[in-house]
Amino acid sequence: MAKCLPNTGVISWITTVDHKRIGIMYAVSAFFFLLCGGIEALLMRTQLAIPNNTLVTAGTFNSLVTMHGTTMIFLFVMPLSAAFFNFLTPLMIGAPDVAFPRMNALSYWIFLFGGLLLNFSFVVRLAPDGGWFNYANLTGKAFSPSHAIDFWVFGVQILGLASLIAAINFLVTILNMRCKGMTLLKMPIFIWTTLVTQVLLILALPVITVALVMMTFDRTFGTGFFDPAGGGQVIMWQHFFWIFGHPEVYILILPAMGIVSEILPTFSRKPLFGYTVMVYSSCAIGFLGFAVWAHHMFTTGLGPWAQALFSAATMLIAVPTGVKIFNWISTLWGGQIRFTTAMLFAMSFIAMFTFGGLSGVMHSSPPIDSQHQDTYFVVAHFHYVLYGGAVMALFGGIFYWFPKVFGYYLHEGMGKAQFWLYMLGFNLTFFPMHFLGMQGMPRRVFTYAGDQGWNLWNLVATSGSYVTALGGVMFVVNIVYTMATKKKKAPADCWDGRTLEWSLASPPPEYNFAVDPEVKNLDDWWHQKYTHDGRRLTPRYQPDVDPATKHLPHPSFWPIILAAGLEIVAIGFFFDEVGHYISVAGLVVTLLATYGWIFEEA
Amino acid sequence: MKPKSKAMGRVACLLSASIASLLRGAGSFDEHPYSLSASFKTPMDTLAGLTDWAQGINYVYAITTVVVAIVFLAVSIPLVYAIRRFRVSDEEWGTLVPPKQVHGNAILEFTWTIIPVILLLFIAVPTWQIIFRQPEKHQVPANAMRIEVIGHQWWWEFRYPELGITTANELHLPEKTPVYFEISSADVIHSFWVPQFGGKMDALPGKGAENHLFFTTPVLQHPEKKGGEYYQGQCAELCGLSHALMRFEAVLHEKAEFERWATVFHNPPVVQTDLEKKGEQVFMQCMSCHTIEKTPSADLEKQLLAMTPPAHKAGPNLTDFGSRRMIAAGTRHNTAENFHDWVHDPSSIKPGSKMVSLGLPQADIEAVAAYLRYSTAKTY
Repeated sequence: MAKCLPNTGVISWITTVDHKRIGIMYAVSAFFFLLCGGIEALLMRTQLAIPNNTLVTAGTFNSLVTMHGTTMIFLFVMPLSAAFFNFLTPLMIGAPDVAFPRMNALSYWIFLFGGLLLNFSFVVRLAPDGGWFNYANLTGKAFSPSHAIDFWVFGVQILGLASLIAAINFLVTILNMRCKGMTLLKMPIFIWTTLVTQVLLILALPVITVALVMMTFDRTFGTGFFDPAGGGQVIMWQHFFWIFGHPEVYILILPAMGIVSEILPTFSRKPLFGYTVMVYSSCAIGFLGFAVWAHHMFTTGLGPWAQALFSAATMLIAVPTGVKIFNWISTLWGGQIRFTTAMLFAMSFIAMFTFGGLSGVMHSSPPIDSQHQDTYFVVAHFHYVLYGGAVMALFGGIFYWFPKVFGYYLHEGMGKAQFWLYMLGFNLTFFPMHFLGMQGMPRRVFTYAGDQGWNLWNLVATSGSYVTALGGVMFVVNIVYTMATKKKKAPADCWDGRTLEWSLASPPPEYNFAVDPEVKNLDDWWHQKYTHDGRRLTPRYQPDVDPATKHLPHPSFWPIILAAGLEIVAIGFFFDEVGHYISVAGLVVTLLATYGWIFEEA
Repeated sequence: MKPKSKAMGRVACLLSASIASLLRGAGSFDEHPYSLSASFKTPMDTLAGLTDWAQGINYVYAITTVVVAIVFLAVSIPLVYAIRRFRVSDEEWGTLVPPKQVHGNAILEFTWTIIPVILLLFIAVPTWQIIFRQPEKHQVPANAMRIEVIGHQWWWEFRYPELGITTANELHLPEKTPVYFEISSADVIHSFWVPQFGGKMDALPGKGAENHLFFTTPVLQHPEKKGGEYYQGQCAELCGLSHALMRFEAVLHEKAEFERWATVFHNPPVVQTDLEKKGEQVFMQCMSCHTIEKTPSADLEKQLLAMTPPAHKAGPNLTDFGSRRMIAAGTRHNTAENFHDWVHDPSSIKPGSKMVSLGLPQADIEAVAAYLRYSTAKTY
């Protein structure tokens, strides 16, 4: 059946197993969810613009808080990072595709369905409201009897499955499919951060998977893992959640660090300063990331020894991170810096991430944290890291690789306008939140009294969020304008790049490399273009060949069907009477799809 | 729900007002809620710590701020310099001979690995000092006053076992006294926090999950004033619909005044007028959830607690209700109007409130208001 499938049109996208197309689908879906998460943020900021506001109810606000966090983490930053992994990994390591192309499609469809299930909760007015870390026992059946929390539990469970499948895929791809000559320490730094991210995913996700199963059992079958009334402990959930949740933070930031580490050298025309140390520091961050989870729980009564040890481990993370920051600055030092939009985003990453990192160092001290925990100071901190850091870097990556993906440059003027709107709006929104936190404003409050001294900073923060929204509009206009006019065609090596993807046409052909590449150096493509003393050489771009001569994996319907089956299993849990029939039906679909998959010619 | 455009209009209006107040200069308009002075000196200011515990935190905080500021300068100055110094125009870029391809520098990289470690020690050592200064349960001084703090959705219960007092939403404390809080929850996780008295501590549900907090209460800032000094507290952990409205007040007294408070607390309500007498009758409808000492409601509580398992009343103890400055867990002033609004429809003030509207006629609400607001008021 697979062989006669078309090459264009909707069906071709649904059945595709091409890592480049899947990457594009990941990115488009992520931006759709960014829109959802952004609207949620604007609603919250509007509600908090003035004291005692009644724009939204307390219940709606709690849902907005929960869904904003969940969406931005699981449905925007993670899938957008996955978009980069998908599109770039095979191109950067000189491979024809990922190791398991159909599994790649499967993880995308599972992610998409999980995201849609989570957001469907708004349609039935049952949006989860337990916060993004869904603390027990507020989220137990006794205090949250509706299905709202179930949307979160099953949504995140499904999304975790998608990430786990993708992580195994990329781990195998990176370890097994590098081109000739590309030893581990000749891999582009982005591939290194991708690799570390996959390891973190594989080690961290099972913890949340198990915890979510326990919570499902608590809620559906009345077990009492996290319920004191049933002999359980509320703190158990927090330990489980943060053993996953803290590595998750590095799952969000490491890909961004990789992107920045690619952009800065290109637009400085210098290699990444201290490549090897950058590799080791990424690994160190990943490793230490598993030893610090309890710093999210400093106010739960851990006792002095746990506080002292977890604070020391947390402070230690600042060391490899600091090394990275100084190495990035040294990469710029003595270079030839060009202010492209991508470069502006990457340079702002260094500044904003440092700022967020430093307020993080403050929280690593439990006494300070006991004042800042659950206040707007923390909100300011993690937005500096994840928004000023991760999101700015991801946008830099979009501007950097867009010409490679679609063959056209994005409009630089609009890009820079977006950048400055983001910088202004972001800092207006989140800088005053430090003051709010120090003045004692707790997180997740749907309103506040007018006599608390929080009026001014809240108003400033809200006005900043509207400026950011303008930046978002600018980005959409830029994409539409670029793709509608198709004015500036991008050549293969449009930024005088350093890594293998720039040896390919823009956009790259379906089969990627006509000739299997072979590398001798780190930044091999640069060394093909320049001698050591900077004289120009003539590099060998990848030639065009007849795609029929290349063996490519066949498109397949089975991934989307299998993903749909899993989704149906989850949907069954939302119905009281006929639920188990639905779940069993979903299980049957899943098994049939697996059977079909196994016997399909790949 | 108000239309969004109206809310936006208010935002725009307030934005211009606040800019105007900023232009007029900080300090000169102390009372204006949008002035800078009002925005930096607030009831929940974490920097205005008064207890030994809070000042210990601020000691670490001050050192950390200095260290962090040094690092910030050490990063931002070379970053900004490099960006400005090494910028090349778009036209030139790519046509120039590439710069020297520097791959790294072992000595430099070693340096900026070691220096952060040393800087972090400046934060770590005082941090550990303060952590271990907070005594564990068995180290609490014997003379410390023990207070049980119990979080409820969405109000605070305070018990003084040695004084036989149970009260709610107003935490009375003597000055210059070591106090030891045993913090727990009756339902979900809450977090007990009076910023000016120091960091927060989570209130966890479940047997054996109590947390402990110890500090010495500060001296009165204005000892000449009678009736105690009020400090604001608030729940800091998302605990459901009305998490934002779970506040309380800590009232600091001169020692003798605290003794008087603890003594008169046990006085029975003084019912004088006809309205108050009627209110006393109406209150019979409230006593399945609320208790007032030395009234039938207290006898009922004793019977409920004698059952196996003991049944706890769902609502706050109202013995000294008339003397409380705020109602509805520190969110509204204790006025007749607010009292009426609260009793008439609690969930309109506090979404999801466990207190139901009893549908009392207007006259009954007025009577019970008179009883609770005047008969239970204590003078000390």
